[in-house]
Amino acid sequence: MASATLDYSALLKDLPPGAWVAISEEKNAVIAYDAEIRSVVAKAKEHGEDLPLIVRVPSQPVCLIL
Amino acid sequence: MLSIEYKFRPSLIAPSAVFPGHIVWRPVTNATLVASNGQTFRCSVLLDTGADHCAFPASFASLLGLDILRMKSCIIGGVGNLSSITYYDSLEVDLGDGIRFKSLMGFTDGLEKQGFGVLGHLGFFEYYDVHFSRKDLKFTIQTT
Repeated sequence: MASATLDYSALLKDLPPGAWVAISEEKNAVIAYDAEIRSVVAKAKEHGEDLPLIVRVPSQPVCLIL
Repeated sequence: MLSIEYKFRPSLIAPSAVFPGHIVWRPVTNATLVASNGQTFRCSVLLDTGADHCAFPASFASLLGLDILRMKSCIIGGVGNLSSITYYDSLEVDLGDGIRFKSLMGFTDGLEKQGFGVLGHLGFFEYYDVHFSRKDLKFTIQTT
C-alpha cells in the first residue's frame, strides 16, 4: 500500500523563517502561521481545524545531522 | 502483515559553497500523537536510524496537556549540542494505514528549531521492519 506524497515545500516557501505553521491536510493549504506554536494552534481551531498538521519553517535551511 | 510505502520529503537547503542549490530528501511522514489523557496533536516525524529513542519538541507536551515537570527525565546528546534534558511519557503514535504504536517518547528543547519529531530505535524501529531506498526516494514500513 502506498501513502500519499507529502511535499509542503511550496506551501512554506514564502512564510517567515522560524514560523510555526498549521496546515489543513484535507485542503492542502496553510491555515495559519505565527511565531508562537500555541497561537498557531489556536488560530487553526478558530478556522475550524481541530487537528491541523503543525510544522515549522526552518530558521536556517541547513543540512541536518541529528 | 502490513507493508506501507512512503515517499521521501524534499527540503530546500540554503545554497552554500559546498552544496549550491541543494535539495535534501528526508524520510519524513506525518503522525498523530495521542497522550494518555486522550489529547491529540498532529506533526511530522523523521525516521532516524541513528536515534536511540523517539523524541519531540518540548512545546508539543503542553499542547498535549502534559506537564513535563511531572515526567521522568534524562540527558540526551546529539550533534551540535553536548546535552539536553529530555522528559519522557508514554504516548501513542499513529502514522495512519494501521501503523500505530505506544511507547516512551521524549520531549526536548533540542528539537524546537526543527519542529518535528524523531522516531528512533526504542519505541519505533524495535517494532517495525523499515526499508529505505534513497535511490527510489521511497521507504517502507512493515509490521513483523
